[in-house]
Amino acid sequence: MIRTTNGTIAFANLAAQIDGLELHAASGRLTSRSWAELVDLLILRAHVLGRIADYERALALAELRLREASAEGLSFLSLARARGSLHLFKEALSDLDVAERLGIENAAAQAERAAVLQAVGRYDEALVLRREAVERRADFESVAGLAALHAERGETAEAEPLFDESYVRFRGVSPFPLAQLEFQRGHMWWRAGHPLRARDWFDASWRRLPAYAQAEGHLAEAEAELGDREGAIARLRRLAGESDDPDYAAQLARILDEDGNAAEADRWRARAEKRYDELVSRHPAAFADHAAEFWSSAGRDPQRAVRLAKLNLEVRDTPRARALLSRAIAACPAP
Amino acid sequence: MSDHGAGPRSIANPEIDITDVFAFPSPERPGHLVLVMNTYPFKEIEATRLFFSDALDYRIRVHPVRVASTGPSAAFAVGEEERAFSFIFEVPQKSGDSLLQSGTCHGPAGKISVRVGDEAGARSGGLHVFAGCRLDPFFVDQQFSGGIRLNRRIPEVTSVNSLEGQNILSIVVEVEHSTLFGAHAGPLVAVIAETATNGSFRARLDRLGRPEIKNFIMMDKASDAVNRDLDVRDLYSEEDGFKLRPDYLGAYRARLNGSMAFYDGLDGKTDWPLDAKGTHPLTELLLADFLVVDMSKPFNEDGYLEIERAILRGEPHRTCGGRWVNHDIVDSLLTILINNGNGPRISDGVDGTAVPASRKFPYLSRPTPMPPKLAPLVGIPT
Repeated sequence: MIRTTNGTIAFANLAAQIDGLELHAASGRLTSRSWAELVDLLILRAHVLGRIADYERALALAELRLREASAEGLSFLSLARARGSLHLFKEALSDLDVAERLGIENAAAQAERAAVLQAVGRYDEALVLRREAVERRADFESVAGLAALHAERGETAEAEPLFDESYVRFRGVSPFPLAQLEFQRGHMWWRAGHPLRARDWFDASWRRLPAYAQAEGHLAEAEAELGDREGAIARLRRLAGESDDPDYAAQLARILDEDGNAAEADRWRARAEKRYDELVSRHPAAFADHAAEFWSSAGRDPQRAVRLAKLNLEVRDTPRARALLSRAIAACPAP
Repeated sequence: MSDHGAGPRSIANPEIDITDVFAFPSPERPGHLVLVMNTYPFKEIEATRLFFSDALDYRIRVHPVRVASTGPSAAFAVGEEERAFSFIFEVPQKSGDSLLQSGTCHGPAGKISVRVGDEAGARSGGLHVFAGCRLDPFFVDQQFSGGIRLNRRIPEVTSVNSLEGQNILSIVVEVEHSTLFGAHAGPLVAVIAETATNGSFRARLDRLGRPEIKNFIMMDKASDAVNRDLDVRDLYSEEDGFKLRPDYLGAYRARLNGSMAFYDGLDGKTDWPLDAKGTHPLTELLLADFLVVDMSKPFNEDGYLEIERAILRGEPHRTCGGRWVNHDIVDSLLTILINNGNGPRISDGVDGTAVPASRKFPYLSRPTPMPPKLAPLVGIPT
């Protein structure tokens, strides 16, 4: 296992970096590169902590920067990243077009474009870009990007050696890239129906970065599937209490329901309902899929799930989105 | 912060990023060598919230060195012996409302524990070490230095220290010179700082000797006759600065020759004529990329590059060389590169920080105190 900076240190330093850049931004002394860095770091923290407020702030800052520096390709690249993180994929692709016209470095724009194409299910186009990136320079980022694409397509045989190779090419001590890689690997095995393998990778990711809420949430899901329901419930209670992402409350409600703890399940369900409603009204594209998942299961409103799953399919026509719609339709009572 | 973000890897991993190295005879205690390594740039936050990585080996390496030749082919000969000061840090532990970090310096005479942020540092067996957050002592107007490369001319001076108030993480070592290589060793030592992984897989991640070699000189691709689309700095930082591999030497030479010729031409005259092969007179000396300190000479604030320039002229050097914390290396380096001292001093108009370093251990000034509460940007939800 590659040793990386302890999660406590890395997270304290990440928060400190963000605060320092915010201070500079507020005083009007931030360079273009630092603006982009601030947006990237906020998205990173949002992803790790599952903190929606950070995604929103990253988008607001990227939009502000664009108003101040609309002739800079970097402004559009930042905006594309922020919009992509909230599933505004069409807008992100058009931002990338402008960024490239304004002369942003090709490799940076192509990496972002590949991520967006992958997210919307245009896998073949994403694959071309990912392979080009590896041919251009087979570093950690490019190889891990190709691994993640194969993982997303469920191509475990292709993805596994690339995940291994990514480790070999890693040059640094930040835990964030490796924790994300391990999470993606776990997610691939989870979707492939291997909860044991999935749990091991989620566990590796969470141990590397204990603040990584998504990794711990999925670890809890895998633990519950493998029979450790008490452990899973304990994890999810904490996550649901700390995060402003309703996914953990939704997962917790589902497991408690299955275990016959209806009273507590209802409390977490109510909390998830309220939060999903808020988020879907503010960012429909970003939360349609998770909300549809919730309403078709613990949320017990499959009709609403179908509406949201259809919206999600419009945003990204992926196998997962199609499967979600099918599940939502199947959950509806027969007419 | 002369070497901040010196390559894609350091930009992506700021904790590995060495920003500056200083080496000088102690102004307090003659016969003692002071070594300073700064990392983790651009931190305008409270000192108590910054920590060294527990996954890094922060090390300062010292070799004996002598002048091998003088004149146009001036060169140093680096001795094989090495004395290294290697710092490993622990995961911070909770203490009341704060987190406290400790570390260990593994030096030639054994181990010494240090508490991060302890002003007094730690002493043992003639060694005095400090680790903690300090005010970044580097000063530069980045509009000026960046403007040269961007606009290919000497810009107007705006005299703004772009780095004012930033904090960095510092390691300071003060060691009796005679204990390094013996009382009869020569007076010259060569110094490099590195960050490397400290797990089972060992890799050098960043390395620094002289300031601004990578950013002022190697970053600029435009004048490179060989590689105009390659950032060579990550490759360069991976190298052992005392023994560059032959594999990429051609690429480094081409970058230095082209970039330094560009600087030389900025005032419309040539002060550094290239040889028949297009080699700049400073290239080979600067590729020996370590600070050279003469411990037989007293502390001198302005010794930076004096030894190198003297041996290039075939003259004895007069100062201790090395690099003192408050020395204005931006002005010095730009003046050397642009006119070799045959013209006015080239200045970015910034001659120091608001709080210069003191002549007392740990030399670097205390960090910027708790910054003011963040003023929210108008219209931005916090």
